[in-house]
Amino acid sequence: MSDDLYDKLQSMIGQVTGPYPANDEVNEPMIRHWSEAMQDGNPLYTDEEYAKNSKYKGIIAPPTMAQAYCVPRLWPPEDREPHTLEILTEIMGEAGYPYVVATTTSQEYFKPMRPGDKLKYTLTFITASPLKKTRLGQGYFLTVVYTYSNQKDEVVCKQPFTIFKFRPN
Amino acid sequence: MAKKKTYKSLKWDQIKKGTKLPEQSRDITRRTVISTAIASRDFQDVHHDHEAAKNSGTPDIFLNILTTGGLIGKYLTDWTGPKGELKNIVINLALPCYPGDTLTSNGKVLNKYTEGDEYLVDVEYTLATGNGTHGSGTATLAIPK
Repeated sequence: MSDDLYDKLQSMIGQVTGPYPANDEVNEPMIRHWSEAMQDGNPLYTDEEYAKNSKYKGIIAPPTMAQAYCVPRLWPPEDREPHTLEILTEIMGEAGYPYVVATTTSQEYFKPMRPGDKLKYTLTFITASPLKKTRLGQGYFLTVVYTYSNQKDEVVCKQPFTIFKFRPN
Repeated sequence: MAKKKTYKSLKWDQIKKGTKLPEQSRDITRRTVISTAIASRDFQDVHHDHEAAKNSGTPDIFLNILTTGGLIGKYLTDWTGPKGELKNIVINLALPCYPGDTLTSNGKVLNKYTEGDEYLVDVEYTLATGNGTHGSGTATLAIPK
């Protein structure tokens, strides 16, 4: 059976949007707020004395935190073209698959994030499944990768993210 | 003057395949959901606005995904101590976690091996509420020998 939507998605594989700069540098107040809320007592994040004497020679951010620096600001609106995920959301909505659930994500860490680092990220569309039926409904599993890098263009974190765009049963 | 704190770290040599990670539990409150959403700069209304969450078809506000990742990171480096270095985490997202849930973390060592000059450990972990699994998956950490 031919599936025009699947063919269209396949033709978009590899599309990259960005880079989008983070609104804030990596900074100690945001690290501490994160550590408080997560109840994470890792001294690399909040104990300057310990961190200075560690192999990092100073405070680092929790590696799980990369995206927190890169969330679009609330106001004023970001002045940019739609990114990969927004483009996909629109296409899937128009095709009759408006609902979304996140199914899998992962994070791979390459470089520590230090206060003062200026992060940016790109979004790459890497896979689309054929039409699938699940208990939620029928739709497509789509995977994008967030790639976070620092001001030296070193990749700090790669974060694949899979969503199921569906119409309910 | 504040007392200087000391921090214990596990050594790779002490870890065996099959070793269980100590269980941790946390009572998830509205404050937990909202403070973690704000700390991760996630202002989507389903993470702080009860009415908006109900209108979107979910019974209550729920933890955001970044927080699930943050809590897994915390659970794993609480186990290794600060010398344990996260290399990667894979998260299979299952049931939402709501205020009133107790989120319980468990884990087990799957494998230990060396790669280049790094001493690595693969673990599997589960974060579960009373209703079932919230998030589960595997992670790799580098741990000093």
